[in-house]
Amino acid sequence: MTKAESCPVAQALHDCAEGDAGALERLVALEGGRMLGVAKRILGRTDLAEEALQEALVRIWRKAGQFSGNPGSAKGWVYTVLRSRCLNILRDGKRLSLLSPEELGALQDAREQSVPEEGWQMLAGSSRLRDCLEALDPASRHSILLAHVGGFSHGEIAARQSVPLGTAKSWIRRGLASLRECLS
Amino acid sequence: MSLNRTDLNAIADDYVLGLLSETEAELLEELLARDPALEARVAALRDGLLPLDLSAPKADLPDDFMDRLRERIAAEPAREDAAPRGVTITPVTPQADNLPQAPRAKWRWLIAAGIIGLAVGLGTGTLRPTPEPRVVAVLMNASGEPQAVIEDYGNRDAKIRFVADVTLPSGKTIQAWTLPSPETGPVSLGTLDRVAPAVLTGPSLPEPAPQQLYEITLEPAGGSPTGRPTGPILGKGFAHIQS
Repeated sequence: MTKAESCPVAQALHDCAEGDAGALERLVALEGGRMLGVAKRILGRTDLAEEALQEALVRIWRKAGQFSGNPGSAKGWVYTVLRSRCLNILRDGKRLSLLSPEELGALQDAREQSVPEEGWQMLAGSSRLRDCLEALDPASRHSILLAHVGGFSHGEIAARQSVPLGTAKSWIRRGLASLRECLS
Repeated sequence: MSLNRTDLNAIADDYVLGLLSETEAELLEELLARDPALEARVAALRDGLLPLDLSAPKADLPDDFMDRLRERIAAEPAREDAAPRGVTITPVTPQADNLPQAPRAKWRWLIAAGIIGLAVGLGTGTLRPTPEPRVVAVLMNASGEPQAVIEDYGNRDAKIRFVADVTLPSGKTIQAWTLPSPETGPVSLGTLDRVAPAVLTGPSLPEPAPQQLYEITLEPAGGSPTGRPTGPILGKGFAHIQS
């Protein structure tokens, strides 16, 4: 069975690549709500999240053909495109400069709360990933979650944990090595 | 200057976590398209971490969301086809560059060099009898940010791929050039009407030489009217010979 036959998201990507505009609508129906949720978690604001999702879907439409040779899952690819649009907005000073200091503060608070140290388990659902994350040392785990779920940079992660940049980087590196082993 | 496998794996991990800058991520995607082993590694970690995305609470899309999206899609100039998935490359170039500790600005250069470094590994690691590029040039803009990569096969064909969001205003054409020698002057390799990977078929030229200049310029629709570059340079770079 090909990837497209086994998964509606992969099928939608396949049809997008063929130029079928209805396929993009199917993708939005399948994943749009969750994608907006992911974008809100990273960006902390609904307007920015909607913009990121629009940009991501345009990009998915444009690049859907590139997915065909990808060894990973269709969903994984779709969420990667989305997260990269979110991070782009977050790290684009020009876009955020339109916000008032109060709005920026609220945005940072919202992002902060998206990655709790206590109760992080809900972020990983009931998956194998949760068990693997559980096995990590708390500092590595929190750093990885700050990056992936909150969209925080190396520098921000170091600052949040009050450690030097190199320490944060090595926590992440070590954590990912264990994680990869556990997941494989 | 090139990267070893450990450095690359670490960069690929950072890519999955979203810790690379946009340019770095674009360059890494360029590498992924050439390196199935690295791509598989990225895909595995990405899918392993996917439950973190799927745990996000769903949010309601506004009513006009699809209409706005349709408008944007309709305004899209042209679609980007699947990137040509070319040669299989096994990178084998151990180096002492300790990339993760390198200052951030340096990364771009290192990764750009990495593309070349990896391709250099071709001579020993080719698995398929695909034609190999004779030279690879990474074209940088005025700020030193990689914009595109040209692989010249020396048989009149050259491949171009973009590694940044290059803007092509409507009514304009991107034209690729090379400078085989000061005497011949710049020679057109071909024109592009959209920012997408393409195979350029130029005139028959001498074998590309090390440090030969390649560049892309913005020209009037259909290409330069004079046969020489007339518009602004979008990116330029020098050929690195492939052993």
